[in-house]
Amino acid sequence: MRIPKLAQFIIIVAVLYALLKAPGVFLGKPIPESLIFMYMVLVVATVLLVMTSTDESAEELFSPIRALVQDPKKAFARNIVFVIAPLVAGYIAYGLSSKGMEPPAELRSIHPAPLSKMAAYGKRFDMATLENPLRATETEDKEIFNAYVAEGAGIYFKNCFFCHGGKLDGRGHYAHALTPRPLPFKGRDTIAQLSESYVFWRVVKGGPGLPSEGGPADSSMPAWEDKLTEEEVWKVVLFLYDFTGNRPRERAREGK
Amino acid sequence: MTYRGWIIGGAFSLVTSILLSATALAFGDVGRGKAVYEKHCQYCHGRDGAGDGPAAGFLNPPPRDFTLGTYKWKTTPFDEMTPSDDDFVRMINGWASHNAVPGWDGLNDTSMPGWSDVIGDNDIKAVIAYLKNLSGLEAPVKPPIDMKAKVAPSKESIERGKKIFADVCSECHGDEGRGDGRKKLKDDWGARTWPRDLTKPWTFRAGSAPVDIYARVTVGIPGTQMPSFADPQSKKALSDEARWDVANYAASLVAPYKKPGEGTVIKAVKVEGALPDAPGAQWNRAAFESFYLAPQMIEGERLFTPTLNSVSVKALFNDTEIAFLVEWDDPTESVPGDESVMALSAGEVFLDKAAIEFPASLGRADERPYFGMGSDARPVDIWLWQNDGAVRSIRARGTASVEDGPDKVRAKGAYEKGAWRVVFKGALKREWKDGASEGIFVPVAFGLWDGSNGDKGAKHTMTGWNYFALNEGGGVSPYIWAIGAVVVVFILELLWFRGARRGRDR
Repeated sequence: MRIPKLAQFIIIVAVLYALLKAPGVFLGKPIPESLIFMYMVLVVATVLLVMTSTDESAEELFSPIRALVQDPKKAFARNIVFVIAPLVAGYIAYGLSSKGMEPPAELRSIHPAPLSKMAAYGKRFDMATLENPLRATETEDKEIFNAYVAEGAGIYFKNCFFCHGGKLDGRGHYAHALTPRPLPFKGRDTIAQLSESYVFWRVVKGGPGLPSEGGPADSSMPAWEDKLTEEEVWKVVLFLYDFTGNRPRERAREGK
Repeated sequence: MTYRGWIIGGAFSLVTSILLSATALAFGDVGRGKAVYEKHCQYCHGRDGAGDGPAAGFLNPPPRDFTLGTYKWKTTPFDEMTPSDDDFVRMINGWASHNAVPGWDGLNDTSMPGWSDVIGDNDIKAVIAYLKNLSGLEAPVKPPIDMKAKVAPSKESIERGKKIFADVCSECHGDEGRGDGRKKLKDDWGARTWPRDLTKPWTFRAGSAPVDIYARVTVGIPGTQMPSFADPQSKKALSDEARWDVANYAASLVAPYKKPGEGTVIKAVKVEGALPDAPGAQWNRAAFESFYLAPQMIEGERLFTPTLNSVSVKALFNDTEIAFLVEWDDPTESVPGDESVMALSAGEVFLDKAAIEFPASLGRADERPYFGMGSDARPVDIWLWQNDGAVRSIRARGTASVEDGPDKVRAKGAYEKGAWRVVFKGALKREWKDGASEGIFVPVAFGLWDGSNGDKGAKHTMTGWNYFALNEGGGVSPYIWAIGAVVVVFILELLWFRGARRGRDR
């Protein structure tokens, strides 16, 4: 059986729309509406272009619509469509215009590039070469390393845990009082993408120490430099990686 | 070995292995439980389960001490100490239904997260076995209470529950259930406890359905002053039906508007004429937006045992002024020197206070001041009200630099049955007024002090930055847009139809 052109058109568009919606419905990772809209404009335009490439196929595509209006035998169907179409348009217009006021979009970069030098603890750190001074113990003396991690855990659970959470998932007891929410350490999206010196910088300087593209005020993270010692911060950093099973990003070692 | 010897030997080893594996099944793998415990649980509950991990001193409520074997959230009867295994699973994994709402996924309003995504089905059995081992608990002798004999939450049941509540529950939970009782409470471990605010069921540790409340009323909350109302020895014992009634009533106390959502915008509503000085009908035009509170634990004296957990705010404005109605549940009206307040207080009584914070000037959206009282470069203005009637306007450039602010602020508060309602009024800043015709978002944050909880100075609860939105209402109503769209499409249809008919007639 041959599917009528108009039905083909509707099916193709519907299937592609469903495909674009699927990640949101099934995986909980929706494609932004604006992007879906752009894709759908392209889809409709392309399908129309293909289907109207010859006169016959264009005729076949549009004739059922024309018949609906012109063919007196289809008056009943026409009346139904003529009632439904304005109502659908009204519904869409209502939906678009009654959307609540949206707060200003956050245009910040969550992990902006660090400054090249950082002044803290009475010295200057060169961010390009800074390494975790305690990291070497991981291969040299596992016992000392484990002791550092345990100390880091103690520091985490006395200072960081209230917001970043017992599961290190960014959902501590008080996390949802803060905007934006604290970041998780679990998973592969945050510290796994960063070097230890970067994490060190973020802890030491906190939200107020972000460069302007990082939205320094769009963060509730305090600067910890006057609350934790340099060594304590490095121990917490060891703990964050160790507990979550993440590895710090290795610095590209060009020129070495 | 003889033929018979083989049979006896075989039977013996069969029986032994069955017994051994049954023991292993019944008690789980304690060693494996210990490994999971040491990875995930010890930082709060302590290496040996005594509730003394590194975080313990900072938690509110404190982490459970497993060596005593007292568990708060169980469904086995009041005279059975051991929770059922299902109770353990729920305590550890949390109430899955809460995953869908912003907030907590474990024991609500505590630091205990839900562990179902971390600890698998097998491991959780091992963890339970390990926990029981810490206090020598064995399998419960009595089965869980029967939770099926349900009395439907009908109007009559709720009405009956209301009377019972007034008689036996209101002393601690307050006349309207906001946790503003007349009794100072302590748990068996010596920690100050506050009765639950029943209008906020999302803070109930262990579920908020009538059946969950029924379980609490029937079993009690071991280790606390919440008794079992099924204990026939108790003077306050209630019949099974009465306990369902009171559970239905407690569940009916929910005040949904107090529940913080994902929203961050307080929509201020434009009114003609003067703004109200007090709560009242004029405020009905605006909707509450609610926010969670976090205790201040960054600068100066830090707070780890907050009594306030959310604040609800609405706003009205006219051509020159803006008014905020700030409402929050507070178990006590803190009047320093008042004896009844002293009797309830955890220590010295200070004033209750509320503060609203704005950027002193609006930069780009990504240039808000730091929410903790701003900085030298980006100061904030704060409107502060105290329950002794004092009102101040403050300009702060960080916590160390505070001076009188430029704003003229008036504020008036009233405390009623566990809730503060404070109306702040101040002039619209020029930037706000200029932006209002187009619609403008102004960052705003809130701070609250419960003086009976020792909140004072830096010790207080607060929100992060949110917004209030001013809009003169110049926009067209969505209904007009909808009607317009209907009319336009219908006219197009008619034109097409007429055109088609003309074409056919020709």
